[in-house]
Amino acid sequence: MSSEATMHPDLAHVEQELKAADLLLDRRPREEMNYEVMRAMERISLTWLIVAFFLGGLVFLGLVLAWGYQIKWGLGVAGINRPVFWGVYIANFVFWIGISHAGTLISAILRSVGAEWRRPITRAAEAMTVFALMVAGMYPLIHMGRTWRFYWMLPYPNQRLLWPNFRSPLMWDMMAILTYLTGSLIFLYLPLIPDLAMVRDHSSAKLRKKLFNILSLGWRGTEAEWKHLHVAMAIFTFIIIPVAASVHTIVSWDFAMSNVPGWKSTIFGPYFVVGAIYSGVGALAVVLVMVRKFMGFEYYLREQHLDNIGKIMLTMTFFWTYFWFNGYLTEWYGAETALDFLREFMTYTGPAAPLFYAMLITNIIIPIAILWSRAGRTTPWMISLAGISINIGMYLERYIIVPVTLSRNRFPFSWGHYVPSPVEILISIGSLSMFILLYVLLSRIVPLISVWEVQEGQVMHVIRRVGRTLVPGVIQWHKAE
Amino acid sequence: MSKQGITRRQFLQGTALAGAAAVISGCTLSLQKKEYLEPYVDMPEFALPGESVWYATTCRECPAACGIIVRVHQGRAKKVEGNAMHPVNEGKTCARGQAALQALYNPDRLRAPVAQSARGSRQFTSIDWNEALNTLYQLISETDPARIAFFGGDVPDHVLWILETFFAAIGAPPPVIYSTHAAWEGKRALRLVNKSLFGVDRLPVYDLAHADVVFSFSGGFLSTELSPVHYNLAFGRMRGRQDTGGPRGVVVHFEPRLSQTAAPADRWIPIRPGTEGLVALALGRILLDEGWARNTAAAPFFAGVDAKELAEVTDVEYERLRHLAQLFGQAQAPLAIPGSAAAAHRGGYQAVMAVQMLNILMDNLGKPGGLWLAPDTRIDGLTPKTEPASLADVRDLVERMRSGQVDLLLLDGSNPAYGLPPEVGFVDAVANVGKVISFSSFVDETSVWADYILPGHTPLESWGYQVVDNGTDRLVISAQQPVVRPYYDTRDVADVFLFLAQALEPARAQLPWLNVVDFLKSRMEVIRNLGIPGSFALDNVEEAWAYWLGNGGWRSKEPLWSAPVLKRELSQAFNLAPEFEGGTEYPFILYPYESPTLTDGRGANRPWLQELPDPMTTAMWRTWVELNPETAYLLGVQRDDVVKVISPYGEVEAIVYIYPAIHPHVVAMPLGQGHTDYGRYAQGRGANPVQLLGGREVDVVKDLAWLSVRVKIVPTGRRQRLPRLENNAGVDRAREVGFPG
Amino acid sequence: MSTYNQGTDEHRWAMVVDIDKCTGCGACITACYAENNIPVVGEEEIHKGRHMGWVRIERYWEGEYPNVRARFLPIMCQQCGQAPCEPVCPVFATYHSATEHINVQVYNRCVGTRFCANNCPYITRVFNWFDPVFPEPLQEQLNPDVTVRSRGIMEKCTFCIQRIRRVEEDAKAAGRPIEDGEVQPACVQACPTEALVFGDLNDPNSKVARLAESRRAFKLLEDLGTEPAVIYLKGGDAHVV
Repeated sequence: MSSEATMHPDLAHVEQELKAADLLLDRRPREEMNYEVMRAMERISLTWLIVAFFLGGLVFLGLVLAWGYQIKWGLGVAGINRPVFWGVYIANFVFWIGISHAGTLISAILRSVGAEWRRPITRAAEAMTVFALMVAGMYPLIHMGRTWRFYWMLPYPNQRLLWPNFRSPLMWDMMAILTYLTGSLIFLYLPLIPDLAMVRDHSSAKLRKKLFNILSLGWRGTEAEWKHLHVAMAIFTFIIIPVAASVHTIVSWDFAMSNVPGWKSTIFGPYFVVGAIYSGVGALAVVLVMVRKFMGFEYYLREQHLDNIGKIMLTMTFFWTYFWFNGYLTEWYGAETALDFLREFMTYTGPAAPLFYAMLITNIIIPIAILWSRAGRTTPWMISLAGISINIGMYLERYIIVPVTLSRNRFPFSWGHYVPSPVEILISIGSLSMFILLYVLLSRIVPLISVWEVQEGQVMHVIRRVGRTLVPGVIQWHKAE
Repeated sequence: MSKQGITRRQFLQGTALAGAAAVISGCTLSLQKKEYLEPYVDMPEFALPGESVWYATTCRECPAACGIIVRVHQGRAKKVEGNAMHPVNEGKTCARGQAALQALYNPDRLRAPVAQSARGSRQFTSIDWNEALNTLYQLISETDPARIAFFGGDVPDHVLWILETFFAAIGAPPPVIYSTHAAWEGKRALRLVNKSLFGVDRLPVYDLAHADVVFSFSGGFLSTELSPVHYNLAFGRMRGRQDTGGPRGVVVHFEPRLSQTAAPADRWIPIRPGTEGLVALALGRILLDEGWARNTAAAPFFAGVDAKELAEVTDVEYERLRHLAQLFGQAQAPLAIPGSAAAAHRGGYQAVMAVQMLNILMDNLGKPGGLWLAPDTRIDGLTPKTEPASLADVRDLVERMRSGQVDLLLLDGSNPAYGLPPEVGFVDAVANVGKVISFSSFVDETSVWADYILPGHTPLESWGYQVVDNGTDRLVISAQQPVVRPYYDTRDVADVFLFLAQALEPARAQLPWLNVVDFLKSRMEVIRNLGIPGSFALDNVEEAWAYWLGNGGWRSKEPLWSAPVLKRELSQAFNLAPEFEGGTEYPFILYPYESPTLTDGRGANRPWLQELPDPMTTAMWRTWVELNPETAYLLGVQRDDVVKVISPYGEVEAIVYIYPAIHPHVVAMPLGQGHTDYGRYAQGRGANPVQLLGGREVDVVKDLAWLSVRVKIVPTGRRQRLPRLENNAGVDRAREVGFPG
Repeated sequence: MSTYNQGTDEHRWAMVVDIDKCTGCGACITACYAENNIPVVGEEEIHKGRHMGWVRIERYWEGEYPNVRARFLPIMCQQCGQAPCEPVCPVFATYHSATEHINVQVYNRCVGTRFCANNCPYITRVFNWFDPVFPEPLQEQLNPDVTVRSRGIMEKCTFCIQRIRRVEEDAKAAGRPIEDGEVQPACVQACPTEALVFGDLNDPNSKVARLAESRRAFKLLEDLGTEPAVIYLKGGDAHVV
């Protein structure tokens, strides 16, 4: 047993180090933490307003004006053509689905393996999933020739006496995305409940109190409620992992189940899942650095988190490289003529080769160079750079898979050429802005840090004296046999 | 009255007001949006509700006179289909024929007669037909007949006959009929060569379907020349023999450029431009020397020819010529076809003759798979006596116009301001003409110089007939009938002149018919008097008329083509070589060709044809200049560079198309674009290579020698993408890996 | 297989394209425009690769000057027996007709995902990028038997199904079988060299059935197993000269 009074000065130093290294050992009064998180939530500065309005303006420009223009006049305002029938909309779709993966999947995996350091980052990650899915889910609608008939893809009894075609990968896709969206919304919401109740309890404004009363579902924090919450979380943690993996596999099947040279590939399923996690972790790193900086959460989000995220990113870099190389090599070895055409187009010195090389540099070389060292992983701007680089690289990968691959086919006479149009670019910017805006708005509605989880972790983590030094200890909870 | 809520009284007032407003606004709306239920009696003529009807008529998109049937639904023409009973096309059509509908429903058609405030001002005011016809009547009756001129192009035979009769009756000079299309297909040279060799002024008909080795000399018989649908059909049959156990016909095509007609050939032999006649001479010499010739009557023509020397001149190796001569000489049914470009230079007349000599050497005259002469189409009362004009005749007319000897110029069916080289001076000469009246359906480059445009019907709204001058073994008088009621306030040109004839004393006796239908019915007797067994009996006019309309005209039962017989002693060939204008500063020979889609430019206002990819380049909407890859490399230009093509006579701009199958000394350009008028689809796009031509004439033929200028290519530094269907990168790559089929 | 049209499903409509006869003239293309209300899109759209023609004639060059050849390859919807476009459509806008044995495109059902177009190995599908424009009075020409497609819809060669149906109904009304050559899509009807032949492959005496037996016969991308209903006859031997 250690106490302040009897501690040796050296040991005090050790304790400082332990606390600095691990949030869960750096215990602070709960009320203080609660107020800090809520203060960050309630602060609406001029800068915040400007940022929010600026993003809102971009969203209006891209998703109201540009999309409206496209609906009014037709998809011809986009750059797609024959044979490049799919363009940046689908690239964006795959990209955002990919981003959505980090969140929930990372959070779920880390929860399931009991990685305690996850506690402050799960909320931000799960929110990312939901927002990215919302953005991604818009793209099939944007992409559709007759957006106003989107509901014809839903299975409902109708006067056309027609079910959707369940053989179509697009149907699988829609089902998978809706399932994933529902699942990840619940997954975000469940651990939010105690925090919402916390906000409710600390709110004095009538309306606000009412709102959070509703949102927190009358949470009182009883033993039974906590128990149910933990059981529900455990169930969802294990449900969401296969759902997340299947979603991106199914997205990959939009391509892999087809006849298109360059798409028809057996490795696409796992390759897409890996790519999704890869880009998602990259995005998560950027988001965490932003949250830490702009919300003043240096206490919660520490070097240890960046370091761990960086390690995951580095692992995923290798995974992705392996899968990419595997796919590329087997196709190259197969020497199919149509694929030769594609390879000439996008590699060597072909017209699309700059994209290809840029993808390799941003996806492999830059991340490895940065994430190899602890300094790179723990320096906020460096890990952000790696995250941004990965996302540029992964976007290029999707761009290469969608419009670049479609530019080449088995009939050289009918090859194509694709350049995104201003409308497509505006809509893409609009959707990126929407993602950021949702984050900016969320930061003022719910605590971006799962306070109760951190506090729970802190309760379970103690510094113990073993012999002549101090070691971190964990209180494990076991159900009585 | 309480503070909140509405009293009963207010409510009633309110509803009354609202009701009144609704009534008023309802009335206004119903006044604005009046809907008519169209009673059956008001339906367009010929209409059967809900059911399509097909009318047989004659395609007038080119002079070949294919028989077509047009699907008409609710009084609107929907689709041009081939008339299976018609001997020329046997139910087939070409793209240009399909697009006849877009002349009828062209958004830029003139909808009523117009007067132009000042010539070329394009300031038109609509006038009504009474005024228009009065003006025309006044002008014709008050002008000295000798100072009236009619300039026509591809005018159907019935109109020509009426015009000829009309002008003869009033004492005016006969109409000058000059079709630029005919000049581009070399029709006049073909006719004159036949006249010289076989003593008959008729066009040749080639029995392509039964030939087994065909040597084509720069011919365009599969794209625009002579009777393209007929020859396509025959080509298909020639190839189709292999499916029924027969020999597959083989085609060898000699031309400086691999044209659409050369593409389906088995072998394309590039030659120097204008050396078709020399190639034929060399081949003939070899045939004679090797003893492959079957009829030596033509031998004197080949006297003194040195095949090896000609091989140098024509750019074809002697060994290859010999090999080809052997192929030709040992074929069962060899056939040589002279094409338009062979006839389009100074020595064109002799060149065409040299090619026909090959047919004489191989003794295929009047034999299956050989050379034939079209049935005689000079029929009193049906076809005009006036010869089609030569360029020299046009020059005479232009000179008369320029020197103020023409007070009234009537224009129909031609667009000389666009189609004739500027050097001929048509537009300048028009300025000195008293009054100009055009019957064009469109405001084109020529009709903008008219004081009045009295728009005629488009062909699908017109009556008439055309005696088919080539492309079949029968005598065919192809009937034209309106498939729909005239869509706008236009008048049949034939009707206009029959109407005038009623008012002009001397013409009335010659042209007693009140309208064109009466006139056409009277022709049944003329046909009967030919005494030729035909497709239907002509004893009863009304019965014959029904057959005439139903079948799309009359044709002889038996083939009436004739075997050519050499009518004169032959002498040595002379003057076959081409001559090109422009000195050494003009390094390339300009090779203009009729666009397979737009022909001589008449198709340019049909959107379907504008967007129909050119068969060889797959380009649309613009004008390009075709350069051999080597030539382009030496000039330092690439595909899609804009270059100036400069001849001694003018310059135009065109987009470079790297054409892998063209002689390096030749640059080719398609006709058809470069319109300054002629509607939204035509004007302001591309260039007109006719601007580069001088007015040089072919010896003897006196027609436009369009293959006679040299040009230089000057890059402008600008680039413009040529709209095309093909993918450049893909097609380049496909050349390396091969044909995907 | 539906019971509705059971009497007629013995037809396997097929087309033969004789490359040896094709002169590239484009009559088929324009005939198709006229019959099927295909809009003209203009120069700018052509630049973007949005030609709307249902049949295209691919022109390939072979060899180097002076030994060059040009080859024409007309390609339209191959009406595959195992069509890659069919399973991917989420709304059954494209499906296999059991009665005509061709691939049908139902415009009214199409929502425009364009998956079918990507999955077509023959690139024969075209998309309505904009609403079609027929300046007054060009719309008078429109064929009343064929829908004018609005923006956002996929379309393709239908083998002129409206003509097949017309003949089927006429024959049914007259109580007689359909004769060989009675059904003619617009392109086949126009083709001046008779390079295109149309008929019922299930009728062993039909012209297409006989030509399909030719030693010159092949199908495009046969190795994909799409079982096209368009049979090509390869060009003759060019080496005779």
